[in-house]
Amino acid sequence: MDGISLSLWLLRLLFLLFLYLFLLAVVRVLVRDLRAASREPEAELGRLQVVASPGGEPRAGTVLALDAITTLGRDVNNTIVVDDQFASSDHAVLTFRGRTWYVEDLESTNGTYVNGTPVDGVSPLGYGDELQIGQVRLRLDRARR
Amino acid sequence: MSAAARPMRGRAGTPDARAGVLGVIRPRTRWREFWLLVLVGITLTIGSVSLNATVVAADAEQGAALPAGALAPYRGGLLLVYLGALLAAHLAQVLAGRRSDQVLLPAVGMLGGISLLLMSRLPQDLAGQFGGLARTQLIWLLIAVALTAVVAVVVRSDRWLRLYKYTWAAAGVGLLLLTFVAGREVNGQRLTLDIGPLSGQPSELLKVILVVFLAGYLSENRALLVEQSTRVGPIRLPPLPYLAPMAAMWAIALGVVVVQRDLGAALLFFAVFLVLLYIATARWSYVVIGLVLFLAGSWLMYNLFGHVKDRVDIWIDPFADPRVAGYQIVQALYAFGRGGILGTGLGNGLPVVAGRLPIPLIHADFPLAALGEELGLIGILAILGLYLVVIERGLRIAASAADDFRALLAAGLSLVVGVQAFIIAAGNLKLVPLTGITLPFVSYGGSSLVANAIVVGLLLALSDRGVEPPPPPQRTAGRFRRLIDRGAA
Repeated sequence: MDGISLSLWLLRLLFLLFLYLFLLAVVRVLVRDLRAASREPEAELGRLQVVASPGGEPRAGTVLALDAITTLGRDVNNTIVVDDQFASSDHAVLTFRGRTWYVEDLESTNGTYVNGTPVDGVSPLGYGDELQIGQVRLRLDRARR
Repeated sequence: MSAAARPMRGRAGTPDARAGVLGVIRPRTRWREFWLLVLVGITLTIGSVSLNATVVAADAEQGAALPAGALAPYRGGLLLVYLGALLAAHLAQVLAGRRSDQVLLPAVGMLGGISLLLMSRLPQDLAGQFGGLARTQLIWLLIAVALTAVVAVVVRSDRWLRLYKYTWAAAGVGLLLLTFVAGREVNGQRLTLDIGPLSGQPSELLKVILVVFLAGYLSENRALLVEQSTRVGPIRLPPLPYLAPMAAMWAIALGVVVVQRDLGAALLFFAVFLVLLYIATARWSYVVIGLVLFLAGSWLMYNLFGHVKDRVDIWIDPFADPRVAGYQIVQALYAFGRGGILGTGLGNGLPVVAGRLPIPLIHADFPLAALGEELGLIGILAILGLYLVVIERGLRIAASAADDFRALLAAGLSLVVGVQAFIIAAGNLKLVPLTGITLPFVSYGGSSLVANAIVVGLLLALSDRGVEPPPPPQRTAGRFRRLIDRGAA
């Protein structure tokens, strides 16, 4: 192998080497990003945004983080206290099972509505759906990560 | 009940106050992207120099010393313009102050640069209206980079995609029908549509539209698709009524595509359809049903359509007719074989047989065979790795998306690119029957580059993490402390 073909060969390998250097740099960024994401504290499961609340409690515009079992109603022992004159003391419960949220009406006087339709027993609740309890309207949103 | 308090849709969990903040645009450095782009520039320059030295050495006499200009980049002007465009796209994003993904642009830019090297190395009279293959590809690459930057910077809301999903679907179907009626036949496939001086393949754009529609429809009906089921006797089937619009869209796309003999696009659409359905519902039954449908459809098409049968027969044994039917595949396999592990080096492979390249459509359908010969197994593994990077970023963006629509859109967009790359790569390697789709970002051709540029731009826009959170409260606390201290003194 003479000098020219040797240097051509080295040049070729240098290109491949840099191709892999680039890939390595990219993969390092990806791994760091994934590590950082997994270090974040256990993310919340979802959040409720208060869309309208004539009674003032909870205030319209507030965002409430949800537990896996979240109860709503007028009683102070509920996870989210809905102080509305049309809400029952134990009005509804939101549960996170598997990968989906469910809403169950706890036989409230005025009923629970999802996107305007009354809930009969247990009903799945998708992200972006609007929940109405008394006059209070809440929207289920995905948790921010 | 007042509707005034209704916050903006689209960005979950953000109060209205944000509208005021959105107006202020501050430049934001993106050093990670910058350094990766620098590495892209260095790598491509080395590749270009290697190509030039090989070409010069081949021209020089055996044993003679290399001429002085051997260590310059090969057609360096083209490369310089391309790298400048990448830098401009980077600067545009810096000035726009978006907090979006910093890996996608360099990864895709590397693929585009390799494409430019390959195109400038192939015989220039293969195709191209604007003075040769490389120059035309460069023009399309510049348009693609500009489009990526514009989409990434301008798109701040997904409403226009989310709200008009049926309009998009209708536009897509219309585009396909238009191709069918007014299209021009090229290589036995009626895929090309001429609009004035421009000609393009609408199926490339259609894949983006299909993903937008599927993401919109699935995110809206996700809960129903997961929970409801149609009972037929003892078997629980997915809720058929809710699948109907989607299946109709899919059948129309597939039917027209099959009529147009574009098997690659049909395979791509079906794969993306199944993947998105699975991502949205996490139900294996959909995948199983889809695969059964796929097998049944493949068997039917194999027996009904001559061109499908030909493709499959060539795939099973290309050496049965190595001079005519199996010619391209056989030559591609030879090319991979010549390349071996380390490759022959850029500019050293692809021997010309009787004044022509052995693979006629090497710039469009077989760029991986060319790269496999000149860069070897090592080289194409790196290139496939770059596609994996694009998929990983897309899924990562999907995982941290604010709602279902954005998640499905990001996953679908990245997978449509990834699946397409792997279908054509496997076709070149004789792992699946060869289909005439492009290798994203690498193949020669405007519509492919433009469609994939839109995909990357949308991914960048979707990955934006929005306005920076307010700075941590130490400063205010310090000021408070000082005030308190002053008060105490």
